[in-house]
Amino acid sequence: MLKDILLLLPEIIVLLTAVFVLICEMLRLPRTSLVIAIVGLLLATLFTIPLIGADTTVFSGTYRIDILSVWIKLILLPATILSLLLARSELANSFREGTVYGLILMVTLASLILAGVGDIMMLILGILLSGLASFALVAYPRTDAATEAAMKFFVFASVASSVMIFGLTYWFAGTGSTLLSELSQLNNSPAIAVLGLLAVIIGLGYKSALVPFHFWSPDAYDGAPVSIAGFLSVVPKIGALFAFAQILKDLPVSSHWQLLIAIISVMSMTLGYLAALMQKNIVRLLAYSSIAQAGYFLLAIVAIGSSHLAIQSLIVFSAAYVAMNLGAFSIVMFVGKKLDDFSGFGRKHTYFGVAMLIFLLSLVGIPPLAGFIGKFLLFGAAMDAGFTWLVIIAILNSVLSLAVYLRIIITMYQIPVNNLDNSNHESKNNPKLILLVIAISAFLTIYIGVFSQVILISL
Amino acid sequence: MFPMLSTLIFLPLAGALLLLLFGKISPQISHLVGIITSALTLVVVLWMWSLGINDIGFSHVEQYDWMPAIGAAYRVGVDGISLPLVLLTAVLFLLSFIFSANIKKQSRSYVILMLLLETAAMGTFTALDAILFYVFFEVSLVSMYFMIAGWGHEDRQRAAIMFFIYTLLGSLPLLLAILGMYLGSDPHTFDMRVWIAESPLSGFAAMLAFIAMLFTFAVKIPAFPLHTWLPAAHVQAPAAGSVILAGVMLKFGTYGLIRFSLQMTPEAFREAATVVLVIGVFSAIYGAFAGLAQTDLKRMIAYTSVNHMGYVIVAVAIAAMAIEPSTYAIALDGAVLQMVSHGLVTGALFFLVGMLQDRAHTRDMHKFGGLLKTVPILAWFFIIASFASLGLPGLAHFPAEFQIFLATLEVKPLASIVILGIVITAALYLKAIAAVFLGSENKQWQSMQDLSPRELLTLGPLIIFIIVLGVAPSFILDVIHQTTVTLGF
Repeated sequence: MLKDILLLLPEIIVLLTAVFVLICEMLRLPRTSLVIAIVGLLLATLFTIPLIGADTTVFSGTYRIDILSVWIKLILLPATILSLLLARSELANSFREGTVYGLILMVTLASLILAGVGDIMMLILGILLSGLASFALVAYPRTDAATEAAMKFFVFASVASSVMIFGLTYWFAGTGSTLLSELSQLNNSPAIAVLGLLAVIIGLGYKSALVPFHFWSPDAYDGAPVSIAGFLSVVPKIGALFAFAQILKDLPVSSHWQLLIAIISVMSMTLGYLAALMQKNIVRLLAYSSIAQAGYFLLAIVAIGSSHLAIQSLIVFSAAYVAMNLGAFSIVMFVGKKLDDFSGFGRKHTYFGVAMLIFLLSLVGIPPLAGFIGKFLLFGAAMDAGFTWLVIIAILNSVLSLAVYLRIIITMYQIPVNNLDNSNHESKNNPKLILLVIAISAFLTIYIGVFSQVILISL
Repeated sequence: MFPMLSTLIFLPLAGALLLLLFGKISPQISHLVGIITSALTLVVVLWMWSLGINDIGFSHVEQYDWMPAIGAAYRVGVDGISLPLVLLTAVLFLLSFIFSANIKKQSRSYVILMLLLETAAMGTFTALDAILFYVFFEVSLVSMYFMIAGWGHEDRQRAAIMFFIYTLLGSLPLLLAILGMYLGSDPHTFDMRVWIAESPLSGFAAMLAFIAMLFTFAVKIPAFPLHTWLPAAHVQAPAAGSVILAGVMLKFGTYGLIRFSLQMTPEAFREAATVVLVIGVFSAIYGAFAGLAQTDLKRMIAYTSVNHMGYVIVAVAIAAMAIEPSTYAIALDGAVLQMVSHGLVTGALFFLVGMLQDRAHTRDMHKFGGLLKTVPILAWFFIIASFASLGLPGLAHFPAEFQIFLATLEVKPLASIVILGIVITAALYLKAIAAVFLGSENKQWQSMQDLSPRELLTLGPLIIFIIVLGVAPSFILDVIHQTTVTLGF
């Protein structure tokens, strides 16, 4: 039992930190709650490091401490710190600021749980916890737009979660156990395996915003504060995708579910980028782009169990995605939501312009940036699993994505249309914290691209 | 041992970083940094040239761990195929920096991009690791995009986007082929030397990889029908950009065709050689005819690139078909020499058109006339470069094209109809020379200045090189031949 507690230390620290943050908020000490949150996350990261290389389960096999659940901590805990800094710069001195930090920590905790899922009940717990905290985060500004976004999100999520829970009962009925490791029993009853899998796809598909379960995400991101949108596009999404990997690892490799995932991947990439091509609002554009990026993640999920590159690519691409996507969102916080706000931005602010270029080119997958090495490994994994056609479609989508991101790049370097609001939109948010996040993200985007060996070596 | 190759790859990058770190500096200093950096790079290349290369395999090899977990490493080296291209790159970049020293518009960013481009070009020619190759290959694309979008002419945005999307679409199949060869090699590695020695793929898989790579390199070369990005990009790019694009970046395609397609999937290439040969012959003739129809000087020269690169494709296809080792060597010698000659000659021509455009702000050949009297030095340089480009004996292209046709006659006599291309290019250059430099003087240009010292400094070395290469090609050919005789058999 004690050993289990030690293995779960990072999760426990995050939970306790969330509680302390809420207590501080009750005492009206938002700054302290931020400091506590950051210290707590750093501690949790620190206590994760000894776990690298562990491969075991706790609580009678219901929760896994393995490569996926360890690495998601090393990726998402720092990502959460960056998100907290962004949230602070945008929402400082707003009503009950500290609750935002508490809720963010709750979403992070839920994502960690999802990545270590070894049992159906853990899966449901993770999805629901993550959902509840996310609705509140989206609704936080209490504007009409935010409320509407949160309502849409809530309705969509409730239906998706209910369907998932309903469908999962088939697995329970089929195996007589809630443990995922018992799923191999379903070899002889493919119908039940597929029904349960469909339920998982609906639940996790909504959480990671995959087509056709993505409808909530552009509205929710647009209604929420930009920092929260950035956070939601990274942390819960990666958590859900890792849960996908955990579950499919135990399902017998079959071309049926592989094909299903591959089709969802194709739809997400293609529709995501096509929709992004139409957007004039950068947050919505990035929302659709992150739908498409989720489709790329699925290249690794397809190859789970049939290629040794699958886990490696999933982890490297997650780290890359965190850096480049959070970076892009923080630039949006600095500049503004409208495409027109970007007009001439790169000419005026050389370094911010270069940073945004790095993030966008990395999202396209241009070497030597992080997105390239991530996608490269993803392609390798899918090819190794025999899905060359999927890689070809992914490659074609990379070209499409260039058209999407070039729209921002061209706007950035054109001569400004009107100079009137170029100066005032920067003052609203605290630029120092954003600057810090941008610098860290840009550094990581290059560093992971050139030195991904640091991650690969311990896999 | 002094890491010469790393120095010449990263020296330009260091110059670029230096400029990036120092915020506000005058245009003169920026250009000076560019010139000094590229001059130092050239010095390193010349030093390496003086040391020579090994008879077998790659020389000056450097290897450091990079991503051992997946078998990727930092591996660079040169042989007789890449070393002449490295020399060409160093020369053209230095001259481009000298030529564009008068650019005032955001000169710092301009120099940074050019230096980045030089690093990318050097890296592409010397990489011995497939990932490293791909990284440099793509970085060159990004820098060239910004070059065209930022310093190009009237319709630059559209041309730049077309260039970027087209060539990204073109280069991604290469990634597919690289992954295929990686998964096919045992143990998994990205070492190009291993791939060349062992040809990791065979049969149908090799054919698929070959087709993917052929697509990539055909876009880059560019070969008909994938050449449509080239006229737009060339016409809109700034003069130095055009020089680098034609002189250096098109060579990525033909270099890749030799290094990857020919050396790594030789069997598939042999099977498909006839198709490649037809593409080459058609490109060469099509490029010449299309050039003949142009009135825009830059567009015309851009199409002659399609023509000259067509000969290189023919030569590589002939090498793939060759049964005799000597024919193989002759064809490849011709191909590599043609690349170098084309870089020098087309470089000179694009500089000259850039100079005309600086003065007259037009590229339409019919708007000029009788310039031979007004600007004699410029005119004679243009005439020499044109004659070289149409393959006159004694000038740069002749020895290369002669070898290519020789090998073609030996292996596939029918394909020697490609010689027709020479006749057509002769016609188009004579037409251009007649329109621009001969005939009645156009009053509008009477006050046109002849070459300035800066321009003379740019063109002089190129013209000398063009003549030397025509008269005594052996100083480059020996290096090429040293490697080509050992390849393939």
